[in-house]
Amino acid sequence: MPDPASRLEEIRFGYGPRVGQALASGGLDPDRVMAQLTARDKPAEAWTGPTLADRFVLIDDQVARRRAKLAPLTDPTYNLNTIRARDALAFIARPTAASCGFVERLVNLWSNRLTVASSPGVAILIPPLRDEAVRPHITGRFPDMLRAVLWQPAMLAYLNQNVSSGPNSSYGLRKGRGLNENLARELLELHSMGTGFTQADVTELARLLAGMQAAGNGPELDERRVEPGEKTILGDTYTTGIPEIDRLAETIAMRPETAHSVARMLARHFIADEPPADLVETLAQTYLQSGGHLPPMYRALLTHPAAHDQTLHKLRSPQDFMAASLRATGLSGDEEETPAFRKKGMRLGEVMARMGQPVFAARRPDGWPETAPGFLTPPMVAARLEWATDLARLTGERADPVAQAQHLLGDLGTPLLFGAVAGAEQRWEGLAVLLGSPDFMRR
Amino acid sequence: MSPTHLVSRRAFLIGCSVAASPLVTSVTFAAATGENRLVIILLRGAMDGLDVVRPIGDPGYAALRPTLAAGEPLNLDGFFALHPAAAALMPLWNAGQLGFVQAVATPYRIGRSHFVAQDALENGAGAADGGMTPARDGWLNRAVGLIPGATPDTAVSIGRERMMILDGAQPTGHWFPSEESALSAQGQALLAALHSADPLFAGPFAQAQTLTQTANLEIPRDDLAYRSFGTYVADRLRAEQRIASFSVGGWDTHQSQARTMSDRLASLSETILSIQSGLGKHWDTTLVLTMTEFGRTARENGSNGTDHGTGGLMIAAGGALRGGRVFGQWPGLGEGQLLAERDLMPTADVRAYAAWALRSMFGIEAQALQSQVFPGLDMGDDPGLVL
Repeated sequence: MPDPASRLEEIRFGYGPRVGQALASGGLDPDRVMAQLTARDKPAEAWTGPTLADRFVLIDDQVARRRAKLAPLTDPTYNLNTIRARDALAFIARPTAASCGFVERLVNLWSNRLTVASSPGVAILIPPLRDEAVRPHITGRFPDMLRAVLWQPAMLAYLNQNVSSGPNSSYGLRKGRGLNENLARELLELHSMGTGFTQADVTELARLLAGMQAAGNGPELDERRVEPGEKTILGDTYTTGIPEIDRLAETIAMRPETAHSVARMLARHFIADEPPADLVETLAQTYLQSGGHLPPMYRALLTHPAAHDQTLHKLRSPQDFMAASLRATGLSGDEEETPAFRKKGMRLGEVMARMGQPVFAARRPDGWPETAPGFLTPPMVAARLEWATDLARLTGERADPVAQAQHLLGDLGTPLLFGAVAGAEQRWEGLAVLLGSPDFMRR
Repeated sequence: MSPTHLVSRRAFLIGCSVAASPLVTSVTFAAATGENRLVIILLRGAMDGLDVVRPIGDPGYAALRPTLAAGEPLNLDGFFALHPAAAALMPLWNAGQLGFVQAVATPYRIGRSHFVAQDALENGAGAADGGMTPARDGWLNRAVGLIPGATPDTAVSIGRERMMILDGAQPTGHWFPSEESALSAQGQALLAALHSADPLFAGPFAQAQTLTQTANLEIPRDDLAYRSFGTYVADRLRAEQRIASFSVGGWDTHQSQARTMSDRLASLSETILSIQSGLGKHWDTTLVLTMTEFGRTARENGSNGTDHGTGGLMIAAGGALRGGRVFGQWPGLGEGQLLAERDLMPTADVRAYAAWALRSMFGIEAQALQSQVFPGLDMGDDPGLVL
């Protein structure tokens, strides 16, 4: 018997129900989820940080002030450290606040697939990659997203493209500099095709990409580092210039290998670590037939029987888990500066790291794990339980954990769970059992 | 659910492990595996072996490494010299407790993908395309199953991250310090009941419960410093554990390699030395091996770094090592000697050295090593890694 309320929709395609907020009815409604893609979400938008262009101005300004031996600006609007801290908090607080959870889930999904992890100087550039290259395209085409991310300064710096020079470029010849293959390889392997290319394709692609440089206002080539001549990549010939790089991105994005890897990513993220093969195939065909448009894939996903399965198969990532637990306890995440949080050492960023998802600092360029085992080592489980306990102790003194369990999980919770929550000696411990339960950690 | 239905935490853990374990018999809980200890350190990101153990005697070397050959490497044997940032390890070399294996690789030699290569290294199947065994388990896990008297406490991964190398059918541990729970015993029992009933959570939850029992050490809640990390590893190996594995990242040096390499090597040296000091007399029967997914391009790239390559380096240390030498057959760096005109040519399967280490340290039969632990491996002659 399917749960008649929208819990499944909120849990599988969002960040879970919020305490004190009535649930919609009708179970999982694909139309209602799709409507989120074009709806305004003011609570979430409040967490948008400065634009890439503004950040470039602030960085230039800080460099200039340092040269002039002036102290950095202290006004929080202009202080880079304040902005960085706000960015990291937004990683949790934005999904916590969101009324369109599906949108935030998609932004996090694609940003993780096209990962930039923080290295010195890059952290400040990551939020614009998420908000200006990924976010506008989740309602559009994947090839456009791929191209936009490719040109993001954060990506160029993270995968060393900013220091790759054509060996026969003027700079390369004069300084004896050459190619750096890092971005070329990951663009093919992680961001798009995954398989079906050779080392020769990687090297040729590196020749094509040489000269890309970070800029605050769109694509820029450093002509001195551009490799002259033709490049043959996957059987196609390219010359030089920004339109040629864009043509390459479009071409690889529309390869069938990319269609399958995008389809698998989407199905694996929302449905199961090993998603049904027919779903992946349907999504891949949808992608190819729609010219890489993502919304038709979402609809195919939402209307597939697997999306309506009443068993929750996926493990919530630490970000999902933390946002869901804050929503479940009526917090926003902004409380981390309060004495109560500080006293318990509840710094959200540190807790995220202990759970295995250090904010903006995935260990590898393929991003954080998308399947359960990567987030289920014993130390990570210990960190989840510690968080659940701390949060319950902080908020659960007057809680009604049984009603909360009913509100959050309803028919999706197991009888064992309701028994355990009811069996706790104290209210807050009942809440700790609920938040620390396997039921609550799934989506 | 009444808490009286639940056994104590420790008993719960053991009960759970035994149920899942085909290798435990009723008498094997006493540590029956002897005094030999093996530490496998996975260096993620692909360490540049040509920079760590520099072939200064090879006529091709200097030209391939115009900036990276700088500094004053420490002479090892006249032909090879050690990166200066690893100077702290020289006393081990002089004592015959440090050695290296040059020009090794897994059989995955075409794709140069970190992720396929790391999986291949930890899985140990040895497929040329990086394909894994059907169980997608780790070779060290399969090896534990072949050690007479092994228990769920014999092998342990250390750190927060999952280690495929020790994943699989044999129960093994996973340690990292954690805080005591603020929940009452009853609250903990309720959580234990929920988690033990859930196949996904049962194993990691049970082990998570033991993590708080470790610390007579002052462990910070965030990442461990390298010295305390080595000490923590040594602590485990002084207790029941005989095999430990952990990973150290940050070796993907596409850019400004000189700086990153110095930092990484200094940290790795510190970790190895703190394992040594933490183990005390047990260091004499310990072998530490590092493995990395592949080597890097013989030539520097265009940004003072190196790109993904093939032939790589294994670092070996420990009192059980017959050290003071660079093992392996050197392929040369000259014209026609590089793989695909770019990478150090591998001259041995890195799995053979791991297999011989398991053979020497734990007496696992060669036939089992070549069929079960590393399917299809030809171990060849004993390289004499272990005293």
